[in-house]
Amino acid sequence: MKQEKKSYVKPTIVRHSVGVTNKYGRPPATVPMSRLNGFDVKELVNEYGSPLYVLSVEQLRQNYQDMFRAFSTRYPGARIAYSYKTNYLKAVCSILHSEGALAEVVSGFEYDIARNLAMPGEKIIFNGPYKTRDELARAFTDGAMVNIDNYDEIQVCEEVADELGRKFPVGVRVNMDLNNPPWHKFGFNVEAGHAYEAVKRIQSGGKLDVKGLHIHVGTYVDDVNIYSMAAQGLVNFYTVIKEQLGIKLKYWDMGGGYASHNTLNWAWQSAEYTCPTFDQYAEAICPILLKGPFQAAEAPRLFLEPGRALVDEPISMITTVVSQKRLPGGKRGVIVDAGMNVLSSVQWYNYNCQTVQDSGLTLEDTILYGGLCMNIDVLRQNAVLPPLRRGELLVIPHIGAYNLSQSWQFIYLRPAVIAIDNGKIHLIKASETREYVQEMESVPKEFNTYSIANKN
Amino acid sequence: MSEIFKSEVTLSENGFLFDHGSGLTYTLNTTGQFIFRQLQSGQKSKQIMEKMLDEFEVIEETARKDLDDFFRQLNELGLIDL
Repeated sequence: MKQEKKSYVKPTIVRHSVGVTNKYGRPPATVPMSRLNGFDVKELVNEYGSPLYVLSVEQLRQNYQDMFRAFSTRYPGARIAYSYKTNYLKAVCSILHSEGALAEVVSGFEYDIARNLAMPGEKIIFNGPYKTRDELARAFTDGAMVNIDNYDEIQVCEEVADELGRKFPVGVRVNMDLNNPPWHKFGFNVEAGHAYEAVKRIQSGGKLDVKGLHIHVGTYVDDVNIYSMAAQGLVNFYTVIKEQLGIKLKYWDMGGGYASHNTLNWAWQSAEYTCPTFDQYAEAICPILLKGPFQAAEAPRLFLEPGRALVDEPISMITTVVSQKRLPGGKRGVIVDAGMNVLSSVQWYNYNCQTVQDSGLTLEDTILYGGLCMNIDVLRQNAVLPPLRRGELLVIPHIGAYNLSQSWQFIYLRPAVIAIDNGKIHLIKASETREYVQEMESVPKEFNTYSIANKN
Repeated sequence: MSEIFKSEVTLSENGFLFDHGSGLTYTLNTTGQFIFRQLQSGQKSKQIMEKMLDEFEVIEETARKDLDDFFRQLNELGLIDL
């Protein structure tokens, strides 16, 4: 009787070299991730195409609840305002609002999305360095929290208050010398005295009333001490403006910047080891703020504006291998069908790549290219991957922040987004069509050279 | 030693390969080892293909592409002369 045949893996040979792992390195995930949120990855791609964004609704809700619990148990009444800019898919925002999140918007476009999702004005925080007069008028009328960024904006806000014939509460955005390089772009600097002057100027105008302070310490800030310094800075500043200008705050807002479990390109250690927990962030912020110049009953409401920390992890991308090639130096290159147009955060992150099919255990240093016809389209300079064939699939987890809101339509149509919730798949954004992409275009008949050429 | 190899090579039972010419070492997976041993015993690609189909659960089209790719890899690593 003939023996059963052996299972087959693509033949491969890997040259030994030093420097592939370090003491923090763990074996790359070679266990195939054949299922995602309970569904067969291949079937998802067969049904919805590749590349494909996949949202785990359960994980999104869990992240929100974890963060809310961490802060609200340390600071009574703390509230989370979701940073729309990290991912303003209507379904994502709706899920977070259903959990209790407010909306933190930074443009009229985002403001409109929030209102369109039936968010009342008083549950919207309006930040950002550029707000138009019309947008400000609408926000004030709706009762939104407006945080002023610069002197020009103070003036426009005062004009709007004049026009509307009312005095409006406002927040003031402040910045401090906390990190290197410092984040001075947003708001008024505290150390230089600009923030004090701004508050004084607003109060003396008599048309607006300072009721909030806002600080945003940076992006992907994995050092909780920076938040502690910012919190102490806010307490000190509040103490001064309370004593000298009689300000009584209704809220203070610690902004966003909380890290996610993705490793930055230049990081020495993996984010698994460096990304703080929500409890660590909350512990760094809340006890300091609670020592502010107020009785417990008068504590300003605390707002937090996470984006990345909520939405990065719940979304994965499925992508298909297009080709495997050898580079002149001997290194292997793998091209996949998702490019940096739909994964723009590859400029910051070393994303993990997980195989879907069993490709064996022989791993090789690989440069992972996106599918764009552009030399800069590299997803990973060094991914340790088993042999791969055209048509095989990879899952890139934790890509929910910025990659959708910053995606660009370039030579390919942008992919669909599905949400998996309790074993059910929902299509929350269909893949683009050529008609959709060109919908706003028109060709004046004078330019229609094709018909002219045909005449000759 | 088969003529196809550029210098003497030793392949251990568990897929560790030592190239006596360059001093470099390599790891081959199970399929890679199988093909490599066929090469060492002087088999040509057509015979290796047939043996692969006999030995493994694989269709001819896949085996052909993979064998082609594997030879190219061995060639680029300077182990064989195609």
